[in-house]
Amino acid sequence: MSDGGAGPPSWWRRHGPPWIVLQLILGGSLLLLFALPIYALFTYAPPSVIWQAATNSVVDAAVYLTLLASGVAVLAAVIFAVPLGYLLARHPFRGRSIVESFVALPVAVPHLLVGLGLFFLVLPGSPLYRFTNEIGLPIYYTIWGVILVMVFVSAPYTVLAADLSFRAVDERVLEAARSLGAGPANAFLTVTFPLALRGIVAGLLLTWARAVSEIGGILIIAWYVYPGGIYTGPTSSAISVLVYNLFQQGDLTDAAAVSSFFLLIAFAIFLAVRIGERSGWVPWRRGDLTP
Amino acid sequence: MTRWSVEGLESDLDHFHLGPVDLSLDPGKVVAVLGPSGAGKTTLLRTLAGFLRAHEGRILRDGADITPLAPQHRRLGYVPQGLGLFPHLTVLRNVSYPLDLAGRRDAKWQAMRLLERFGISALASRRPARLSGGEQQRVALARALAAEPELVLWDEPWQALDLEARHELGVVIEELKSDARAPVILVTHDPTLAFSVADEFVVLRGGAVQHRGDAASLLDQPRDAFTARFVGYENVFARTALAAAAGEEFAAWLLAHSGPEGIAFPRPVLAPETGSVGRWSGTVRSVHPTPEGLAVSVRVGGQDISARASWTDGRRVPSVGGLTRLDVDEKSLRPLGNAAGPGAT
Repeated sequence: MSDGGAGPPSWWRRHGPPWIVLQLILGGSLLLLFALPIYALFTYAPPSVIWQAATNSVVDAAVYLTLLASGVAVLAAVIFAVPLGYLLARHPFRGRSIVESFVALPVAVPHLLVGLGLFFLVLPGSPLYRFTNEIGLPIYYTIWGVILVMVFVSAPYTVLAADLSFRAVDERVLEAARSLGAGPANAFLTVTFPLALRGIVAGLLLTWARAVSEIGGILIIAWYVYPGGIYTGPTSSAISVLVYNLFQQGDLTDAAAVSSFFLLIAFAIFLAVRIGERSGWVPWRRGDLTP
Repeated sequence: MTRWSVEGLESDLDHFHLGPVDLSLDPGKVVAVLGPSGAGKTTLLRTLAGFLRAHEGRILRDGADITPLAPQHRRLGYVPQGLGLFPHLTVLRNVSYPLDLAGRRDAKWQAMRLLERFGISALASRRPARLSGGEQQRVALARALAAEPELVLWDEPWQALDLEARHELGVVIEELKSDARAPVILVTHDPTLAFSVADEFVVLRGGAVQHRGDAASLLDQPRDAFTARFVGYENVFARTALAAAAGEEFAAWLLAHSGPEGIAFPRPVLAPETGSVGRWSGTVRSVHPTPEGLAVSVRVGGQDISARASWTDGRRVPSVGGLTRLDVDEKSLRPLGNAAGPGAT
């Protein structure tokens, strides 16, 4: 750069060091990669067709089924994955690294194999198959099967996020709480959990996203879902399976329309959580943790 | 008024062993636990607070053994290193936390009163991250006192404070003492700060108590070279080093006054060049200005002595490499290693 001391500041000086521009170029490229296929989806089907999809009862049933199943999967993550994350973060034990690696495994397994694994585990006619039927949780062609697959592939995100978030809570803050009169449970509820909440919520969002995007395992266990259990709608299928079916049948416009409609729903949900975070349901803001 | 005593307390953290530590604490008294990093100061506080298990010894509150109690039942105000303020709560909620836990209906009101006492009521609705270091200290102390503790444990109170905040903190601690309620154990690696507030001192090194006593005993009869250096003696000589240099008159003289481990003495005043004659002659090695005057390093008989000269003498202090004379007052000599001294534990 040729700007000496005398002349006006160069463009670089005024706009910051070149590495900011580099970041913009690299980060922007990735955003573009995200945006272009979505743009292609939205433009393939005209808005009127997307609207038709949104008001179509078959699509609505699939959306309802998917949101219900993924909602239960997220709830299961709250109930089972958060405590596991806490256990891994706060209680060092022999073989913890093995358990942590094992927890990440479902993310790496090709998802058709997840379905196959569950199929081999609960082979029709096997004792486990009869048992699941007897307790009212049959997995084949039911919402329970969809939920089971979703939890399998998506709960690791919450376990890992909770693990990291609980680990990040300063031990000394906890000790202060304890010496001020809080028992272990009280200290968890008033200090550890609120401080880890933002990370846990991020994990739950990923869990939800992974759950609704699942297809491989669902194709094997519950291609179609018949009413039963908590699902009272018409016979339907998960939204991913519905789009796959439409694509297989050559209904490209409908496949694009249904996909666009569901993407809008997903985007709305992400946005709502972010806005909720800003408006204070998480009891502290990002800047509060760093001076 | 609660009396506390600690008897033969020992604990282990990984491969570090602490103790045995004995303490007795009267209301309104401040005990400073001194030592360099890794001496076991924080380990001692965490053991007292109940976060580390004491495998030997007892902690007695009015004669009752509280060693088996969980941290929340010990009635201690523990201010950990870094303060441990709750980042997600406002200043007011931080201070009212122990009162809220206790289900006190007047929690907010009591907390507000404490904030007023420490002059931080205007900060009530702020989060800790938005406060200065000194303000955070006050919040942490107000919170610890809100629980009406019977003993205050305070880890590195002066850490990360600027000079002005350090001075303010001294005032706060004095106020705490005048309250004459709970005794305070504070931990620091800076003895000069501790001397400004504490009544009794415990010097730790490698987990073991090196010295226990008041400021006078610590300064007058430092037990060993480590303690002497740690409390600020700049002239500390090991007996072996003096014996090796005993051919020199000065070293031989020091050796004659040494204890089993050696000798320490405060900085002698340089004799002004004209009019008076110091006993020892030496070469000036360096001269540094300080508020108290000039700090002069002089090499006498093979030993480097830290001496001082007043500003007004400054003109007469020889420059580096020049010759000067000095006297070492025999009464200022502190023999080291006499285990029978009152500072010994």
